Amino acid sequence: MKLYEVLDIVFAKGIKPYQSSAWRITLIFSTLVTILIVMLVSSLYRQLIIEQENQVDTHLHAEMQRYQQLALTVNRRSFAAQIKAADPKTALIAWKNSVDMVGALTFLPDDMPFLPETREFPIFTGGPDKLHILTGGLAMTNYGPVLIATRTDQLAILIDKFVNAAFWAVAFTLGLTLALGYIFSKAILRRLVQYNQLSEQIEAGHYNTRLPVTHQQDEFDMLAQQFNRVLDTLEQNLRAVRGVTDNIAHDLRTPLSHLRIGIEQLSQKPIEELADARAELLEELDDCLATFDAMLSLTRIEEGQQQLDVQPIHLTELCQDLYDMADVLAEAKEQKFVLHTPNDAVIQGDKYLLFQALFNLVDNAIKYSPEGSSIEITQDAKCITIADNGPGIDDEDKERVFERLVRLDPSRHFKGTGLGLSMVKAILSRHKATIELSDNHPGLVVKIHFK
Amino acid sequence: MTMRILIVEDDATTLKYVAEGFTAQQYSVDSATDGQEGLTLAKHNQYDLIVLDRMLPKLDGLTLLSALRTSGNQTPVLILSALSHVDERVKGLRAGGDDYMTKPFAFDELLVRAEKLAQRNVPEPTSTDIEVGSLKMELLTRIVTLDGQELMLQPKEFQLLKYLMEHPNQVISRTLLFEAVWDYHFDPRTNVIDVHIAKLRRKFEELGHGELIETVRGAGYRLCKGH
Repeated sequence: MKLYEVLDIVFAKGIKPYQSSAWRITLIFSTLVTILIVMLVSSLYRQLIIEQENQVDTHLHAEMQRYQQLALTVNRRSFAAQIKAADPKTALIAWKNSVDMVGALTFLPDDMPFLPETREFPIFTGGPDKLHILTGGLAMTNYGPVLIATRTDQLAILIDKFVNAAFWAVAFTLGLTLALGYIFSKAILRRLVQYNQLSEQIEAGHYNTRLPVTHQQDEFDMLAQQFNRVLDTLEQNLRAVRGVTDNIAHDLRTPLSHLRIGIEQLSQKPIEELADARAELLEELDDCLATFDAMLSLTRIEEGQQQLDVQPIHLTELCQDLYDMADVLAEAKEQKFVLHTPNDAVIQGDKYLLFQALFNLVDNAIKYSPEGSSIEITQDAKCITIADNGPGIDDEDKERVFERLVRLDPSRHFKGTGLGLSMVKAILSRHKATIELSDNHPGLVVKIHFK
Repeated sequence: MTMRILIVEDDATTLKYVAEGFTAQQYSVDSATDGQEGLTLAKHNQYDLIVLDRMLPKLDGLTLLSALRTSGNQTPVLILSALSHVDERVKGLRAGGDDYMTKPFAFDELLVRAEKLAQRNVPEPTSTDIEVGSLKMELLTRIVTLDGQELMLQPKEFQLLKYLMEHPNQVISRTLLFEAVWDYHFDPRTNVIDVHIAKLRRKFEELGHGELIETVRGAGYRLCKGH
């Protein structure tokens, strides 16, 4: 197995803590902290070094003055004795008395500068730590130059220790923040990974899955709550769609099974009945097709795919056409059919679609009202009302009638696709018109308002 | 004189059904199964009518139609389409189509529409009277007589009867009758036409000729010539 294949398997299961945004933030944070600590330590270091150097300088200067004074007040022998007796812990003193070296050193290092200039130089001793580092310079006295130096290797050790400590401090801080960041990322990711797994379940069709919400009310809980709300809506819509699909299946199943029976029986029919039987089947088939067409048109209108053929429409003219077309239907049922058009108004809209919608409403009013009742169309400016004395619609059904495939007439005595009112509503919405149903005591009043 | 008709349709079943139907009616039928072929045929031959499918391979029906009209060809075109939406109809007619029919359709209706379009190319008959059997219609005076007795018809009834008399012995669908009387194009899932026809038939019955208008179930109405 190749390396990238292995990596693929390792990474495929979801994101790793070091891929997360929390980890990225951790990295930025650690870098900032490290820079801060390094800056602090380095400034501290500089202060310390300068202070130490000052002390060495002051010390050497004091010693220089002491020996210059001594050279003025004592003779050469006493001076040598003093130098010999000098405590090497205070300062290291060496003087070249004509030929001998007097003091702590057996030689004078070359190129020593005169104080206050100083130089570091190493000396070897017989003790356990053989190499000593000294800093010092020459002081001019009456008896010639005297080397005054002081041990500074302890300072070097101190600096060494300091640098060491600083390094560990930085390393520790870095390590700690990174470790904590990693753990935090992992903790945050655990919830995200959980969300991820649950959404995979939802993707697989378990639409009742919900994300867990804790009592902390943090940003994750808010996200989960919002996500759950989206899921609620989705599930609800899905159920509605399923309901509609069931209804369609049911609505089409009946005529289709009629067709099946009809076709099967054709072969047994006497020849003179064939034409009628065929016509009957065609009618049934046309009804199915009409339902399909209505479904398709409805979706297109609802979703705005159908372009409206917009033109100015005189509402009075439209209602007059409506009346002319429907008049014969009312007449056949001996209904009193009246049109009032006190004020004309012009709107922009698709004439054919609007006519179709309005005709559907008028047709319904005539169809569902008893013989001899009265139906009234009133168009006053941008408001059209269609009032009848039919059975009306119960309050609880007034919204439901606009849903797809809902028919209030359970016997399905009247022919129809069950989509008529959905279509009416869709067409009116596309025209930004409102439709409102109310009671006519008895009967139904449909009120349409154009903007 | 035989009518020449071009059918551009990519669905083999529909093409066969339409072509056989027209051939049976003594039409001379040419066919093309894609837009490119259809356009070439239409440009190089003189047809009385083109039946054009809306969705075609190679060249879309509407594009073909626009190309044809741009080249100055005024042959009547009847668009056949599976798209039943009102806006599709408007698009088709705007592209230069003369009529629009939605699939699935009854061949009888296609035939009536085709005849109507094809006849547009021949001059209108000079006569202003139509006669079908004992039924007579004077178009100028709008007087209709049956066996010499005048019938009192309402405007819509007159228009419906005129359409039926122009196509005697042919089954006329409700959609065709609807379009003949009203300027609104939508599937009239209503019995407006049936009520008008019933009234018309009642007037015929009063004169003892109720059988003149025959109801053809699943298809429409037919005006019979003889008794």
